[in-house]
Amino acid sequence: MLQLLADGLIIGSVIALGAIGVTLTYALLRFANFGHGEFLTWGAYLALSALGGFLAMTGATSMSPIEPFSFGWPLLAALGIAAPLTALIALTLDWLLFARLRRHGNAIVLVIASFGAALALRNLLQFFYGAIPEYYSREIQIAIRFVPRDVMGGMRITPDQLFVLALAIVTVCVLHLFLTRTTLGKAMRATAMNPLLARVTGIDVEAVIRLTWIVGAMLGAVAGIFAGLTTQLRPQLGFDLLLPLFAAAILGGIGSVWGAVIGGLIVGLAESLAVPLVGAEYRAAMAFAVIIVILLVKPSGLFAKPRQ
Amino acid sequence: MTAALTVTALEAGYEPGLPILRGASLNVRTGDIVAILGPNGAGKSTLIKAIAGLVPITAGRVHLGAQDITATPAHLMVRQGLGFVPQTENVFADLSVADNLDLAVAILKLAKKTRLAEIYALFPDLARQRRLMAGQLSGGQRQMLAVARALVVSPRVLMLDEPSAGLSPRLVALVFEKLVAIKRSGVTIILVEQNARAALAIADQAVILVEGKERLVGKARDLADDPQVAALYLGQAGGGRH
Repeated sequence: MLQLLADGLIIGSVIALGAIGVTLTYALLRFANFGHGEFLTWGAYLALSALGGFLAMTGATSMSPIEPFSFGWPLLAALGIAAPLTALIALTLDWLLFARLRRHGNAIVLVIASFGAALALRNLLQFFYGAIPEYYSREIQIAIRFVPRDVMGGMRITPDQLFVLALAIVTVCVLHLFLTRTTLGKAMRATAMNPLLARVTGIDVEAVIRLTWIVGAMLGAVAGIFAGLTTQLRPQLGFDLLLPLFAAAILGGIGSVWGAVIGGLIVGLAESLAVPLVGAEYRAAMAFAVIIVILLVKPSGLFAKPRQ
Repeated sequence: MTAALTVTALEAGYEPGLPILRGASLNVRTGDIVAILGPNGAGKSTLIKAIAGLVPITAGRVHLGAQDITATPAHLMVRQGLGFVPQTENVFADLSVADNLDLAVAILKLAKKTRLAEIYALFPDLARQRRLMAGQLSGGQRQMLAVARALVVSPRVLMLDEPSAGLSPRLVALVFEKLVAIKRSGVTIILVEQNARAALAIADQAVILVEGKERLVGKARDLADDPQVAALYLGQAGGGRH
């Protein structure tokens, strides 16, 4: 039981980071971006390329890990490169596709276009990287036992999983401070609340939209790298997480960053705790079940505030 | 007196080929309050939204002082000195009163302490409620905050879209009292109002807009006293309430 909770929290933290991007994009641009999952995949693979680049520069064949983790500094540096590059992909996508469609003001067209963009991005990635699963590190990790086996089945967590959980918490806290304490963050929140009023307040809404893509895509990249670190890299990595991301964003209430975080953790826990009940093969269906339940019971989500 | 704002033969509308403004012109003198009146659908709100850069302009020019601002994006208008208070949803409900005011000042990189002190002196209620979320304010307080938000960046011209809408007569009087105080501080005001009598009572000039074009322009007092104008354009609803 405790192990399932821990697993749920770890996958939930990855879902939460990805769901923040979904909820921010939806709140600001008023459309569900089904291409968001690809930011996770591209972020993860770009980090793999950056990692390969670092290793090639140093002449090493594999990364020396920072004990007790399976990865070393090169992966952290790769994260620092992959996140901005993923943001660049998001900005290019907006410039090429979404910004042009936005002028016509039809959300359905934008949603359908995001499906197309997702397909194009996924196939492009598969073209460059192939379909064979990849790993950042092949180091074997020994899970640390936190709770003995005789207490509710016990709990073991690998150092990498702990790192992912801790960094996800730090990232969310930094984002919270950014949104509540900085002028740019407040401008983002103001634009999401009321774009027209934001414009007459002197906020450059187009710049805020670009900032939203950057923040959402970078968080997506971090989530993708975390997913790759704790499991493996596959071209379907982001696509497989898309439903949980949307379930978390809808559950938390579209537009609410903390809602996306709580929603992500709940979806992660629901997926994990469902394993002994319905079997591992149906765990992915839990996100779908969460969406159905929340749409029936509280369609606005847990933390959504009424739109202006 | 010099013109604070000049609108020349403006055509604008929300849909291509469906203009709401059909050659509207306006000459606003510095330091005046100008009331824009007219029947529903005359294009009063569209006129100030088009001036503010929120409705596409298809023909005509807008000058703020000597500067042509016809194609200036809405967010840059604020920097040029043009303030706009929308009729509804005119505050950021999920931000505190202080954040509503700070945001504009911070974006324009103005001297925050000085500007906020001036605004809080003009609106002492807001100073007391600065920590409250704007969404928790009453209708009248929200309207005050909306005016304060536009005023905090020291506009030369302040445009308000029906600031009395939905307010009780007592609050309408309070809002209009503030507008007179704002005018005294040297700000030119353009006021779109359904409450024509109240608007004319504080305005220097008035424009009656009909079908997207000015039908009558004159001193507010003259228009208010003209029985034909009152019967045709000001309506019975506005008569004698304030």
